[in-house]
Amino acid sequence: MAETTQLELVTPARIMAQKSVQMVVAPGVEGLFGVLPRHAPLLADLTRGIVEVHEDGKVTDRFMIDGGLADVSGESVTILAERAIDLGSADAAALKEKAANVNEAEAAFLNAVIESL
Amino acid sequence: MASLKDLKTRINSVKSTQKITAAMKMVAAAKLRRAQEAAEAGRPYADRMRGVIANLAAKADPSSAPALLVGNGKSANHLLVVISADRGLCGGFNGSITRQTRTEVARLQGEGKTVKLLMVGRKSADALRREFGDSYIANLEGIQGTAVSFSDAADLGETVRSGFENGDFDVCTMIYNKFVNAITQEVKLTQLIPAEVGDAGGDDAGSNYDYEPEEDELLASLLPRIISTQIYSALLESSAAELAARMTAMDNATRNAGDMIDRLTLVFNRTRQAAITNELIEIISGAEAL
Repeated sequence: MAETTQLELVTPARIMAQKSVQMVVAPGVEGLFGVLPRHAPLLADLTRGIVEVHEDGKVTDRFMIDGGLADVSGESVTILAERAIDLGSADAAALKEKAANVNEAEAAFLNAVIESL
Repeated sequence: MASLKDLKTRINSVKSTQKITAAMKMVAAAKLRRAQEAAEAGRPYADRMRGVIANLAAKADPSSAPALLVGNGKSANHLLVVISADRGLCGGFNGSITRQTRTEVARLQGEGKTVKLLMVGRKSADALRREFGDSYIANLEGIQGTAVSFSDAADLGETVRSGFENGDFDVCTMIYNKFVNAITQEVKLTQLIPAEVGDAGGDDAGSNYDYEPEEDELLASLLPRIISTQIYSALLESSAAELAARMTAMDNATRNAGDMIDRLTLVFNRTRQAAITNELIEIISGAEAL
């Protein structure tokens, strides 16, 4: 079995994802970066974008985050994001409805999510 | 001595009060479960954020670090962010916040410092308005309670941060109730600015992190976030604590009402018997007199 790294995606409201994965691609402020097991320790500021989880060369999960922070060590990747949405289970119509009822910053994020679906 | 009718009214009124307190207890208990889950779900984020900041701060150069982290070198003006509830009937919840705030303000003023207050929640704001109303910079309502949203906390964090940057105050401390368990709340003081940094914890502090972007930039973008995060977790803790306090208070009230009903019923029965005995005596003595 291939080596894995422990991914945790945490928002203020809850832990969105917690599992062992082969590779994570995250949207750093200075560009996308991939994290494999045994990555050198890294603290990176993240921008709005998509966090991709790769398994066996395929993307298995995609999360849209609204900026945040990635704390990478040899055996784990912790992503702290103020807002995050699992694109696998997101529903454009429901998000559109929600976007109409929230403040500007959140609506902008939701619209970005809708666009990326 | 109260008449039978008065006693009956009294008993009925206590009974309705008991129904209300029992209902309030149930509502608080149901909401508490959700609030407690929210508070617990919010802890990992706050903990990890704190860990990261501690790690960064341990390596930051004190002379060039952002003011949010090390302070602006003064401590003449203090801001207290006081988080109480919007509603009462929750035992000592608001009282203990009010008392703590009063002590803290007195202490700071005793040291010759200027104190400003940012009140979150109506109850303590009302209680302290007469004494310290002039020092209020804002009184926010409706952002804590059952639905705490991160964006409210972020807005509040932004207010605090911009106030600091405009030089309105030099030190900011937050006073709130921390949820310990369903029957205990603990008043906590957390210093927001300069950031209170715990130990980074042995190994982590020593490891050689890469930073993207540069350390200073990263720190500058993270510090406002840690303030919001701390406020958010305080709001969550406070709303769970409020509901727990209300549940306990209403439970006690329901029990007291039960005791009172028992006592009043006893008095009611005694009075009724006394009245019957009286009537009998009157009838018997009337018959004897014939």
